Amino acid sequence: MKDAFSTYHPLVNFIYFAVVILFSMFLMHPVFLCISFASAFLYSLRLNGKRALKFNLLFLVPFLLVMALLNPLFNHQGVTILFYASSGNPITLEAVLYGFAAALMFVSVICWFSCYNAVMTSDKFLYLFGRVIPALSLVFSMVLRFVPRFKAQICVITRAQACMGRDLHSGNLWQRMKNGVQILSIMVTWALEHSIETATSMKSRGYGLPGRTVFSIFYPEKRDRIFLLLFFALSVFILAGFACGIVFVRYYPALGFTGFAPVPVIFYIGYLALCLLPLIIDLVEEHQWKRFVSIT
Amino acid sequence: METFRIDNLSFTYPLAIRPALAGIDLAVEQGEFLLLCGFSGCGKSTLLRHLKTALAPHGQKSGQIDFNGVDLQEVGLREQSQKIGFVVQSPEEQIVTDKVWHELAFGLESLGYDQQTIRLRVAEMASFFGIQNWFHEDVATLSGGQKQLLNLASIMAMQPEVLILDEPTGQLDPIAALDFLQTVKRINRELGVTVILSEQRLEEVFPLADRVVVMDRGKMIAEGLPLEVGNQLKKQEHEMFYALPSPMQIHAAVVGDLPCPVTVREGRRWLDQICGPYTEAGEPVAATSQNLSRQEEVVTLKEVYFKYEKEQPDVIKGLNLTVRQGEFLAVVGGNGTGKSTALMLMSGLLKPYRGKVLLNGKAVASIPGKERFWQNLGVLPQDPQALFVKKTVMLDLLEVLSDQKLSEYEKELKINEVATLTEITSLLAMHPYDLSGGEQQRAALAKILLLDPRILLLDEPTKGMDARFKRIFAAILQNLQSGGVTIVLVSHDVEFCARYAERCALFFDGSAISVGEAKEFFCGNSFYTTAANRMARHRFPQAVTTEDVIKACNTTRP
Repeated sequence: MKDAFSTYHPLVNFIYFAVVILFSMFLMHPVFLCISFASAFLYSLRLNGKRALKFNLLFLVPFLLVMALLNPLFNHQGVTILFYASSGNPITLEAVLYGFAAALMFVSVICWFSCYNAVMTSDKFLYLFGRVIPALSLVFSMVLRFVPRFKAQICVITRAQACMGRDLHSGNLWQRMKNGVQILSIMVTWALEHSIETATSMKSRGYGLPGRTVFSIFYPEKRDRIFLLLFFALSVFILAGFACGIVFVRYYPALGFTGFAPVPVIFYIGYLALCLLPLIIDLVEEHQWKRFVSIT
Repeated sequence: METFRIDNLSFTYPLAIRPALAGIDLAVEQGEFLLLCGFSGCGKSTLLRHLKTALAPHGQKSGQIDFNGVDLQEVGLREQSQKIGFVVQSPEEQIVTDKVWHELAFGLESLGYDQQTIRLRVAEMASFFGIQNWFHEDVATLSGGQKQLLNLASIMAMQPEVLILDEPTGQLDPIAALDFLQTVKRINRELGVTVILSEQRLEEVFPLADRVVVMDRGKMIAEGLPLEVGNQLKKQEHEMFYALPSPMQIHAAVVGDLPCPVTVREGRRWLDQICGPYTEAGEPVAATSQNLSRQEEVVTLKEVYFKYEKEQPDVIKGLNLTVRQGEFLAVVGGNGTGKSTALMLMSGLLKPYRGKVLLNGKAVASIPGKERFWQNLGVLPQDPQALFVKKTVMLDLLEVLSDQKLSEYEKELKINEVATLTEITSLLAMHPYDLSGGEQQRAALAKILLLDPRILLLDEPTKGMDARFKRIFAAILQNLQSGGVTIVLVSHDVEFCARYAERCALFFDGSAISVGEAKEFFCGNSFYTTAANRMARHRFPQAVTTEDVIKACNTTRP
């Protein structure tokens, strides 16, 4: 199922991810990190289902642990010494905690990027950046068209060559390399040859005439504006919290950060709302749809 | 009013000896559906490309072309891009962008229309062509037929006055081709767009055309209403006659003065008139699969199952098929029924996940590549271009023999022998990509033949071939067969299979549901059979080819 946030205007999608990823990178407060990671995790599950769960558990969690354990081996700042390593270097609590925080930051950014990939499809990206450089956007679109064709043709040629007894899996290394290079060389000829027809087709449809316009299938709506307003308000609120020192974090020399006093908690909730916005939209729309179905 | 008026147009390609077009005089009326036919290389494409300046080839040109009463040279590129739509053969190469909606808008973007206009035009065309269901898809996920429809739709979005189509169905299967041609007819009938179409397969398109022009060697040799053209060609005893729809060929061969039938329906009526009152309904012969167990089995498929990916449905389901030594087996069936996959299973390129594929009693995939494809299996892929790897045909053929311990002289001798057999001796110095479709097919076959195959597996070899070359190709195959080569051919071309194959298998839903001797096989089918059989089956149920029907007509006439 397509999630509701994906149906918003590409600009909204892009701004959202850009800001959330920047926040995840620079707001190293442990509570903020946890919120960001949890939200990204949940949203990637929503978008990619089982595949995301598999990736997150098998790749991200081990990665997180390794990163967290590596930092204290190279970084010896901090005042709380846990023990001395065999080389005589001190292993500090602060370094362990910072390693963990940095790893969490890293992992949540990866997780956000996986969500970004699912939401920002190539045509949305093209739409956004095509306005800046129209010629480049067409080239990009043509590349996206060309790559799958090229891959498919390699497959066809490899099969045909295998039927001539020239496959890539038998014979000695020299022969295999020779066969591989031969296929690549003919692919270049093929690509050049076939691009002539494409060029003809472009020319015959008036490509190159002055005054080319760019068409898109995206139109901004009211909900896009509302989303942006809400989103900007939340972002400014959170930044203000950090700027005024209401929320802060310090890892070295000794760990210190705002805890769960009522005022900072308001900011935590604000950040939680920001990170969960796509999921909230999705759930609200689903709920609305169910109500709509039950009424009619 | 005339859309196009061509006056004494001649054209010669650079370095060519004889002209590609010689003194063409032709007027195309507004709203007309003009069919242009002729063998490959007769100058059809050259003529069509002259009708749009941006596509016109370079060379020596004389004569004049007027578009809407104005010299085409004077008509601006913008006006030409918009008013003259052009669709060519290959569905793949005309598509520029990666999304369906973007492709539809491409021409309009070039012409500089604003967002709102493009939106409306694209929406209109998507609805007219029934594209709305795959409007957001990636182009790569479409079938060949859908791609060609998309090409047509993206031209039509520009609202052209005239639509020029250069063998647009050459790469499509028969069902998709028919669908495409019907859409073209609809555009012509409902929108009044002038259509100029060149085509190789005439059976379906002949009844749609208002006027037919036949070309040969750069000249127009016949012109007129569809039913007149047959007689003109017959009088000239021209080879193009054999490319005409079966009812017309039959009509011309049977003495009588009734008007010429063009469609199967008219053919049936004509046959009833000519053969007198309807006496008895011929019993359709049921296809009995006789066991020709005299010959040895060379390829055996036993309850084979195959699918490309785990989650996907089976492509081949419980397929049983045997190929016997020295026979010519044709595999027919609709698109996506697993014909080509079955061929790849036979060649061992794919392995079944259940069941067995045996080559001379051994599991085919376990035989090492060298042994499997040297003096054993020869596979001609659907796209002959996939076989070429060198700069010239000669080098390509030498490359095949590079592993063999033969002297230069022996190699040359062998290549000459094969080149003579496939009639490519004059093409040896050319780049394989510069050959025409039929020539590529022959050069590819030559490459395969150098491996001295005992079993030939051919995937859609007659795709895009003209009627003349099909006969040459069939002769090559028969020649090979008489030398003891077993032939398995997968094809959509029912007419070709009916004429030349010995045994036929009909594929449906991943398995061969009926196998029989060609004649009985086609007599037993009522849809999947030749046009001649469909036309005459109520009279002569045994007649499959046009010759059969002509013979039956001439013997039973009162």
